[in-house]
Amino acid sequence: MTTTLPAPPRSAPAPGLGLARSLLRLHRSALWCWLLLVVALAAAMLWAYGPGYETAAADVQEQCRTDIEACHFPGGPWLSRYSATVALTTLVVSFLPLLVAAWAGAALVGRELENGTAHLAWTQSVSPARWLAAKLAVPALFVTVGAALLVPLHRLMWNGGGDLLWTDWFDAYGFRSNGPVALAYALCGLAVGVLAGLLTGRTLPALGVAVTVMFAITQLGDQYRPSMWPTVTVTGARSLSLPDQALQLDRGVITDDGLRIGNNMACSDADGSVADLRSCLAHSDLADVWATFHPRSHFWPLQLTESGIVLAVAALAATAAFVLLHRRTAAAGAAV
Amino acid sequence: MNTGQLSRAGLPFRAGLPLNTGLPWTVLRLHRAALIVWGVFLLAALGTLVWEVEITADAVRERISACAGTGGLCRLRVAIDYGGTISWVSTLVYYSFFAVAAFAAGALVGRELENGTAELAWTQSVSPTRWLAAKLAVPALLLVAGGTVFVLVFRWAWTANRDLMGDDWTFDDVFAARGPALVAYGLCGLGVGALAGVVVRRSLPAVAVACGAMYLVNHNLEVHREDLWPKVGDGVRPESHYWPMHLVETGIVLGVAVVATGVAFWALRRRTG
Amino acid sequence: MNRDGEGTALEAVGLGKRYRRRRGHVLRDCSFRLPAGRICALVGPNGTGKSTLLALAAGLTRPTEGTVRVLGTTPARARERFAYVAQAKPLPPQLTVAATLRLGAELNRARWDRTTAERIAYGPEYGRAYGPEYGDTAGRTAPDLDLDLDPGPDLVREGALRPGDRIRSLSGGQRTRVALALAFGKRPELMLLDEPMADLDPLARRELLGALLGEAAEHGTTIVMSSHVIAELEGVCDHLFLMGGGRIRLGGDPERLLAAHTLLTGPARDLSGHTVVESHGTGRQLTALIRTDHPPTDGWETAAPSLEELLLAHLRNPEAPDLFTEEPEKADEGDEAGPTGGTGDPGTTAATGVTGETGETGEENVRP
Repeated sequence: MTTTLPAPPRSAPAPGLGLARSLLRLHRSALWCWLLLVVALAAAMLWAYGPGYETAAADVQEQCRTDIEACHFPGGPWLSRYSATVALTTLVVSFLPLLVAAWAGAALVGRELENGTAHLAWTQSVSPARWLAAKLAVPALFVTVGAALLVPLHRLMWNGGGDLLWTDWFDAYGFRSNGPVALAYALCGLAVGVLAGLLTGRTLPALGVAVTVMFAITQLGDQYRPSMWPTVTVTGARSLSLPDQALQLDRGVITDDGLRIGNNMACSDADGSVADLRSCLAHSDLADVWATFHPRSHFWPLQLTESGIVLAVAALAATAAFVLLHRRTAAAGAAV
Repeated sequence: MNTGQLSRAGLPFRAGLPLNTGLPWTVLRLHRAALIVWGVFLLAALGTLVWEVEITADAVRERISACAGTGGLCRLRVAIDYGGTISWVSTLVYYSFFAVAAFAAGALVGRELENGTAELAWTQSVSPTRWLAAKLAVPALLLVAGGTVFVLVFRWAWTANRDLMGDDWTFDDVFAARGPALVAYGLCGLGVGALAGVVVRRSLPAVAVACGAMYLVNHNLEVHREDLWPKVGDGVRPESHYWPMHLVETGIVLGVAVVATGVAFWALRRRTG
Repeated sequence: MNRDGEGTALEAVGLGKRYRRRRGHVLRDCSFRLPAGRICALVGPNGTGKSTLLALAAGLTRPTEGTVRVLGTTPARARERFAYVAQAKPLPPQLTVAATLRLGAELNRARWDRTTAERIAYGPEYGRAYGPEYGDTAGRTAPDLDLDLDPGPDLVREGALRPGDRIRSLSGGQRTRVALALAFGKRPELMLLDEPMADLDPLARRELLGALLGEAAEHGTTIVMSSHVIAELEGVCDHLFLMGGGRIRLGGDPERLLAAHTLLTGPARDLSGHTVVESHGTGRQLTALIRTDHPPTDGWETAAPSLEELLLAHLRNPEAPDLFTEEPEKADEGDEAGPTGGTGDPGTTAATGVTGETGETGEENVRP
């Protein structure tokens, strides 16, 4: 597009720009919806981070001052407003990939193939591969920009509200909204949607397939997330008092014979003092107790690994889309 | 819920329900793919419930008996495997009203208005009113039948091994799936979807509108379930309140369904001759 | 032609339609009457409201003003008695051809004519090729018209439809065939066809025209076909509506419409007193198309215009007054005067170019 050669005249923009511009024109309403959604989410999260939190915290403190019961069971209209905002924005941000997949499958590709406008583009001097590349690249840009704005805001809101909402760093929705995995899943949704659109060639089936597949991908991510980075295992008294905010995965015992048994709570109710634990172990013929967990510091490694895996799935889907399109159209110029 | 509309829709040519005409065949044939997907989904859900209760439960009990003396976490783990699956089934079936709304707004009504195949039917001796009546009546019958079967099977599965399940009756999905509210939500999705399709007349925007509207209805009801029936004395909620609360919610959801369906008919009649 | 001269197939009074988003009316003060049994061409340039008029007649949309009556009643009441084929030929893409025809049968259980529908969809050879019960259908079309309806088996079979073909996989012309088969299968009293020929190759066009004429001949079916290609329908139709400016500007038997006009050539001269549709001169020579209501004075070379010339002249001159030829009620007696301008109100038509308030003239043009 940009070269060291003299700039092309304004009336004849580079073909890539023209393609991007026509794509934006074609999906103008989707672009407006996206902008509106991003702005609305950003506004809601900023409110929750600032005034929403302040008001709710002040209200809870006030209640606590007058009624000791309220300190343990905080409530009130401001807290519920604040927590509803946090819950809703987190829900929307964590399910954005499904929205992207639905749109990409149905409106971006499926509908164009169904009503033949894709063929119109392909006969307007745009090769199918370039058409598909534009369909992936331009929305990816907007998705990236949107995610780059929403994720930091969500982090601010999420981490800022920890004391009021008891939010966990490993909460599934929160985790998917708090780091690069949000972008990775959204891009994956785009690629999966495009592939579903190409495979079905029809609007509504593409929508159904894209949403279902993307839902399955996010659920698999939630399920196998703990396995995406090596866990920490501690034994002895340390296993009875795991670090703050650790995600405990398993707990077990080691018998005198050296046998390691998982999912076992023996001696875990020892009060943490080494002596207490020793007497319990001796009493039960056990050598040691252990616990496996992810400390909070694993947040970033987990985020990055999961992002990598999800992006690999996205790349796979995008490649499959290109191969499929290539085999279907006359891009090769000859029968394959 | 649609029978009222149906009898009104009768024309002098053929009185009564459109179900004894060729319309049901037409609706089923046009949406055969959706019917198959729905059927497979429902059968898979029912099959999973039966499998969990009849087969998995015994295995789970054996594993739990092996946990003896190792503390509560062991039992909990095993039970989560069992209850988790059942909970997935009820969650997916409960929230499938989103899929119903998307189907009604998109494939059932919006797409047909968008690409003109609805008009094809209207000039094949079917008035727009009867067309919409059949389009809603056939899926409504299937939803009622399928939903009823699911509710009965789920009630059986949910009570079969209470000791193995960690949920209780107040869980959102359990609350809805143990009674007619589940069916009501399906019908509500159908009505709201049809309304969105008739008003928007384009499949994709209609899908978005219908799903958004269903989220609003469902979310607000879930948030305000507590207020559907007065609490006992000092804010206690006994389980005996399940049916009053459930039936009030069912009534509200059915009310939304009826209103949406009525408006859909009204909007369609106003637009066509 | 088996003409049912008594009834009225289609009638509009002050019909108007405006779409919300578009400025202005697509259809405005449109009034006309089409006797039953005619084969009517609805011609006019793109965007003059032909499709809107047909959709209103089919009861698919509601008029903003005025009324339209179909087969003596409202479109909704006449739904079972007319057929309509939309311009885009919408069909459920996921069905096969056979399932689509079954759909027509299911929706018209009382009156479905399977034989005719399958003949239209699969071609006249279908019966011979696929089963004896269709054997007698090939000869049923248009016995009294010398259109060659049997283009030969090898020609028809090429690109022919098979029952198992999916609608999605069909070409535009093949879709048209299926859409027309649904229309024919209904055994309608009135067919409203929006650009039925647009996607058809010349062979299929002849086949369709033959089938339409046969239908009209055998059952007295009224047929309204819209087209923006005038030549396509010339010689086929015995009624013509020219649309322009959202209303019917010329209506009637094409022969009568032609007879109502004269093409004048001669030295440039005052033409006041005549209803001039169009005139253009080169130097001293003047060519003009006038209404024949006042026969021209001497010194003119007169000629009969062609239908195309007539229609184009009206399209180029929107201010030319509307004209509806009087339909003979029983016989042709008392019709020597030929057509009269407007509704026989000479005041409106004599003044050349006075059509400003088409609303009024339009309504007056309707004959009871």
